[in-house]
Amino acid sequence: MPEELPFTALLNHIFGGAANALLDALHLAHNPRAPITDFVAMQILVVGFLLVVFLLVRARLSVDNPGGLQHIFEGLQGFVTGQSREIIGHHSEEFTPFLVALGVFILTCNLLGLVPAFESPTAVPSVPLGCAIVAFFYYHAQGIKRQGPLNYAKHFAGPMIWLAPLMIPIEIISHMARVLSLTIRLFANMFAGDMVTLVFFSLVPIGIPVIFLGLHVAVSLLQAYIFVLLTTVYLAGAVAEEH
Amino acid sequence: MRRTLSYVFMAMAILCFAMPVFAQGQTANAGPNWVAITSGFAMAIASGLCGLGQAKATAAAAEGLARNPAARPGIQLALILGLALIESLALYTLVIIFAKVK
Repeated sequence: MPEELPFTALLNHIFGGAANALLDALHLAHNPRAPITDFVAMQILVVGFLLVVFLLVRARLSVDNPGGLQHIFEGLQGFVTGQSREIIGHHSEEFTPFLVALGVFILTCNLLGLVPAFESPTAVPSVPLGCAIVAFFYYHAQGIKRQGPLNYAKHFAGPMIWLAPLMIPIEIISHMARVLSLTIRLFANMFAGDMVTLVFFSLVPIGIPVIFLGLHVAVSLLQAYIFVLLTTVYLAGAVAEEH
Repeated sequence: MRRTLSYVFMAMAILCFAMPVFAQGQTANAGPNWVAITSGFAMAIASGLCGLGQAKATAAAAEGLARNPAARPGIQLALILGLALIESLALYTLVIIFAKVK
């Protein structure tokens, strides 16, 4: 039995057959005894938890008597909308749902690592890569939707048409580098936090590693915020109109 | 002149202490782990330069905030964004180390 978390073992016990069939049908390499890996199980947990929380907020919305949960989410929505208005400009409210979903997902994934018997899915390179690819396709799709495909493609040619052969490769590489940097920034912060806690745990088992768990909380918040902020900046670059 | 010569001879004598290093080369089949040693230096250099860069960014932000406290939102945004981008450069080095050091 491969080493796995209790929650993953539970999911493999219940859904192992179905997961094996699905992965075989897609010809993906997997361990037959534990087809659902740790980080996939953790992501399923995060999505389920967030669904429950958002449905709770939705059910308890009220104008006259807002509860604490409503206040929190109103504050979050106001913060993200204000920031995107500051960075993108007018007509930026339509991006708020995606940005809040992305930010809350990454934040919950990061903080999940602090709970014993769970691990951060973002400490595995695939999960931040997934988030970065989603953000990449989202801002390109929004740019094409706002400006039309031809106009959007003309963006990449730079300010003057004769600069295009130089600008287009540079633009393509820089957009690819955005995905890379978003991924590695989030992954390395989470992974390094785990490593540093382990190193100090091997030196002084009592007391000192708690400081690094505290640091992990601060870094989780900051990295989730930075991911959303950079996605907003890339959105601003994609939907900007020169007038 | 005599003092300089005596220093030169002292230095040469100390260099002779390093002779045993060459004795190891022919017999040992696995030398020192150069990847690990180099990665230590690389991470130290990356972190040091990252520290310098972030210090400059923080100093500029603090000074700007002192001159114009009303511009706090904009300065705070620029500071956080700048710090995170500089931090990520040092983290790229860490990722290479984890990829290459066995």
